[in-house]
Order: sequence, then structure tokens, then C-alpha cells
Amino acid sequence: MGEVARTVEDRLRQEYFTLLPESRRVADRLEAEVRYHIRLISAGLRRHERVAVKCRVKSCESALEKLRAQQEGAAFDESRPEIYTLTGLNDLAGVRVLSFPRGRLADIDRKLRKVFHSWTADPVEDDGDVLALKYYGRCRTSDRVKGEYQVVSMLTGLFWEVEHSAIYKPDVELRGIDQNFGMRERTRDVAKALRAFEEYFEGLARQT
Amino acid sequence: MKIELRPLDKKQHILDEAGFAYNFDRRVYFNRKSKKIFSVAFLKDKRDEEIKHLIQVDTGDKEWKFYFTSEPPESVRRAVEASIG
Repeated sequence: MGEVARTVEDRLRQEYFTLLPESRRVADRLEAEVRYHIRLISAGLRRHERVAVKCRVKSCESALEKLRAQQEGAAFDESRPEIYTLTGLNDLAGVRVLSFPRGRLADIDRKLRKVFHSWTADPVEDDGDVLALKYYGRCRTSDRVKGEYQVVSMLTGLFWEVEHSAIYKPDVELRGIDQNFGMRERTRDVAKALRAFEEYFEGLARQT
Repeated sequence: MKIELRPLDKKQHILDEAGFAYNFDRRVYFNRKSKKIFSVAFLKDKRDEEIKHLIQVDTGDKEWKFYFTSEPPESVRRAVEASIG
């Protein structure tokens, strides 16, 4: 019986599960380090302030989807399967630090930057606005899986969660909707509104 | 009062006006009549005037014309064409 040709996706799924134990170790290590280094900030928050640390290992299908979306036309070149690898993704293991209001972001970023000084900065920007501070690099626990951490305003981070899990992920046919130019302009509106809300709130809170 | 469109809305408007539809799965704008496919990556850094010009050019092609940042491989062309039908 002849061998059935494996698709690029098949190969990547196999790679994903080979990397999974390492991805988990990187995520666990990164989360522990981040929590440890911002512990004094977390302990010193005022009553209305919040800092949350969320950790995740990217799911297999999300990892494949991310790599696929990075290709122009969102399709793999089936004639060259060897050029694709999930180790090229910066966020197989990731930690997100959420802060409300945004005034704490700079403190958290400064603290973590001292620890992860060799990591590469890759901020999430839109129209010149920095929406999130993002860094990727390697932990001691793996030389193949990169880790990523983000420092982002809580309102923006939670909006992204809703946007992705409620809108895009349940319906595969909608997964590229966020790249539509009109949709991006609406998303930009939300980011600006959330920022304005936080800045105004923070201004008033400072007066108390 | 004339409302000024914002940059991304302007691009969207140009494409809408020219009858281009957006394909979610492949992140491309396409027009079945003119047989043109623009990738989002290609359009991203193009000025509005350039986009208008490319839309207007008559390629006379019966085959799909791909406007990508680099020539797409055959298997990618097939996958995109299959998606847009």
C-alpha cells in the first residue's frame, strides 16, 4: 500500500506535540519568574488598582493558524513543507500581565526589562500608538521554544480576549476578519476609547 | 458637511467602490470580474492612488492576477483560487 502524502499541517501537528512538554515548561517558568519579579508592585496596589498575570500555551490549531496567517494568501506552499516550523513562532508559550489603570504599566515593564534584558522588543502598535509592550526570547528551560510576555492595559487585554474567543475562534470562516481594513479601523476606535476611559479615570483617581 | 474618511476606511472604500470583496480565510481582496486578487500585506503600504491605479489597469487576463508582495507559489495560487471560487 502506498504511503499517503502528509500535508504541511500534518507535519506541524506532529512537531507541535513533540514540542508541547517544552512549551509547558517555558510557560510555567516564565509565569513563575514574572510573578516573582512583580510581587512588590502587586503587593503595593491601591484599592482600585489591579494587576493580573495570565499564562497559556498556544493550542495546536492556534499555532498552525498563526503560522498559516503569516503566509501571504494564508496558505502553505505544499511543495516546500520543510520550510515551515513552529519553533519560528515567538509565542508558543506566553504570559500576559494586565494592569488597571495603565499607570502601572511602566513600573511593571521597567521591572521585567531588567530581568529579561536580552529579549527582543516587539511592541503591538497601531497607527503609531503602542497598544501593548511585548518581548520574546528564550528561557533556560528550552533552546527550541521561545517565550513571550506582554504588558498591557487590562481593558485592552480583556477586549482582545473577548474579540478573539467570542468572535473569531468559534467560527473558522471568520478567522481572518480582523485584517479587513474597515474592521481594523473599528478595532482602532475601541482601543482609543478604552485608553481615553483609563486616562480620564486615572486623572480623577489621582485627585483623591 | 463632508466627513473625512480615516486611512483604513479610505482603503476599504476604494476597494468596495471597485467591487472588491474580502475573503476572510485567505486575507485577500478579490474581484471576479477583473480577475484581480490583492493580499492585505500587499495593500498595507500602498498609497491610495497606487491602489486606484492598479484597480483600473486592464490586464486583459482570463486567469487570476495576483498582487502579492512576492510571486505566490503554484500551490498557494491554487489554494487561494479554490477559496474564492
